[in-house]
Amino acid sequence: MTTILTPAPAPAPAPAPDTATTQHRSVSRVARLVPVASGIVVVAAVALPWMVNAYVVSLAATALVMAVLAMSAQLLVGLAGQPPLGQAAYLLVGAYTAATLATLTNLGPVQLLAATAAGAVVAAVTGLLAVRVRATTFLMVTFGIGELVHAAAGQWAPGGSEGTHTAPVVALPGLPPMVRPGWVYLYVLACTLIIGAAVIVLTRTRFALLLRGIAAHEPRVQATGHHTSRLLLAAYTLAGAIAGAAGALLVAVTRYVSPADAAMGISALALAAALIGSGSMIGACASAILLVAARDWAGGLLSGHGSTLLGLSFLALAYLPRHRLAGLVSRRDRERT
Amino acid sequence: MGLSGLVNPYTITALDGVAYGLLLFVIAAGLTLIFGVAGVFSMAHGTLYLAGAYIAWHLADGGWAGLGLALAAAVLIGALGGAGLAAAVRPLTDRPLDQVLATLGLAYIAADGFSTVFGAEPRSVDPPRALAGSVSLGGYQYPVYRLGFIAVAALIIVLLIWLVERSRTGAMVRAVVADPGMAAATGLCTRRTRAAVLVGGGVLAVTAGVLGAPVIGPAPGVDTTILVYSLIVCVVGGLGSIRGALLAALGVGQVLTLGVALVPGAAAFVLAAAMLVALSVRHRPALAGRPA
Repeated sequence: MTTILTPAPAPAPAPAPDTATTQHRSVSRVARLVPVASGIVVVAAVALPWMVNAYVVSLAATALVMAVLAMSAQLLVGLAGQPPLGQAAYLLVGAYTAATLATLTNLGPVQLLAATAAGAVVAAVTGLLAVRVRATTFLMVTFGIGELVHAAAGQWAPGGSEGTHTAPVVALPGLPPMVRPGWVYLYVLACTLIIGAAVIVLTRTRFALLLRGIAAHEPRVQATGHHTSRLLLAAYTLAGAIAGAAGALLVAVTRYVSPADAAMGISALALAAALIGSGSMIGACASAILLVAARDWAGGLLSGHGSTLLGLSFLALAYLPRHRLAGLVSRRDRERT
Repeated sequence: MGLSGLVNPYTITALDGVAYGLLLFVIAAGLTLIFGVAGVFSMAHGTLYLAGAYIAWHLADGGWAGLGLALAAAVLIGALGGAGLAAAVRPLTDRPLDQVLATLGLAYIAADGFSTVFGAEPRSVDPPRALAGSVSLGGYQYPVYRLGFIAVAALIIVLLIWLVERSRTGAMVRAVVADPGMAAATGLCTRRTRAAVLVGGGVLAVTAGVLGAPVIGPAPGVDTTILVYSLIVCVVGGLGSIRGALLAALGVGQVLTLGVALVPGAAAFVLAAAMLVALSVRHRPALAGRPA
């Protein structure tokens, strides 16, 4: 066939296949290393409470909550290409749901499921507003929604702007309430791993491919007969559900929720973590943990100037050539799918 | 009825709403023009207001001299801040998300600087002594400064609308909002226009901070509040449109004062609904940023 179509075969461009194979080889080597590396990370994460003091353990639990929120932001910005700046609003909805439910049951998984559902419902309603716009305007509108939820929480939520305290949660029926930071951390770690596994399954579906299509070129996805705003609304709802789950985990860690949990800084941190992760879920989680470490731990060493540190990391994120890095990661993803 | 029937607690609150709305407009006008002309959503816009409010607090001495000095400082700082922002977003042209991150980073660093220098507690700023009292409006006491503020803000707005809609400079700005490529093809320096709008928006925001400090005083977190409300004004008014922003600002001002007095706690829902209506009535994303 090919000889008929190309009667005078041109000499094949020599260097192209070479680079392609070397790239492929290096990519497959990286792909083989990923399960080993993630196994080591999980083992280290489980062993953490026995290695460091209680302060670092509770900090690590907070970092895991932020990692879940970063996955929620990554679903929108990494897959669908729409940057959200209001994900903390759904975290707050989930946290208040868990805190309200805590007066009835202190069973952690029940609170987690209820918070997930509440986050999804609120995101589905407010998402109607957000999916009407794209790109920077999407960011502006989600920022507005987030701040309005923040303001409404101060008015309507139990405890007002003072917030409300909750009882420690129980991981499974029959177990004692978790008070020590180590157990809380392990519970949050387990929940984070389950949520992470679900999210990674989600990123392998056809739905995720369509979202990537929206990010790449929305009119083409529309031309193939898909209603892109509905797809985005579904993604927004799922992201709200994940953020709601993060809210329940936050209540498990701090046993306290107040409207300040939906401050702009939380949403900005989640978005920044997703952007540093440049399209990858694991990258988003890792950078969320790094950012929390920079804000709380290093900020503590610099006597409370954590927000300057955060500002500097945003500036670095804006000016450093992360797009080249993003190209590498997305190439790996393309080979996988 | 007459005048005494017209003056009741609600109209007094509505007058507060006018002052709040005009203040929001002076801030949001800069934000909407910056977005329309330069395509930049400046997260540091509320920071500029807060800088102005701290200038007013620092330089206020109860007389006209302090206010004059504060206004002069505001113009200087606003121009410097705007030029700084223009320089910061200049290498990030066509990367709107990075522009947001860069301005957000600057806003964080500035907020930390403010709370280090001026402390974490809210500061109250007294207006000049000549305007410190209150007048009687049909049996109700109303601060003179707010009436003066409404007059000055109205003057600024008339000047601004004249500048944007009637002057040659404004024609250039509107041309860049409507079609940057065509504007550049006719010989306009779009880069200079973008920088000029950022500087102008900076001056407006810092000046609004000085004038508005006795109304919304400087405190940590005020930068975010101002940014959110002026953002909502921009979205409801149509991004890039001055007259739309004016109407939206007056509406948002009423929601945040009269609305809060009538139905406490409903403000957030009303504002979200207003954004929803504005975004539904207006068209598809491809046209976002065009003047309505």
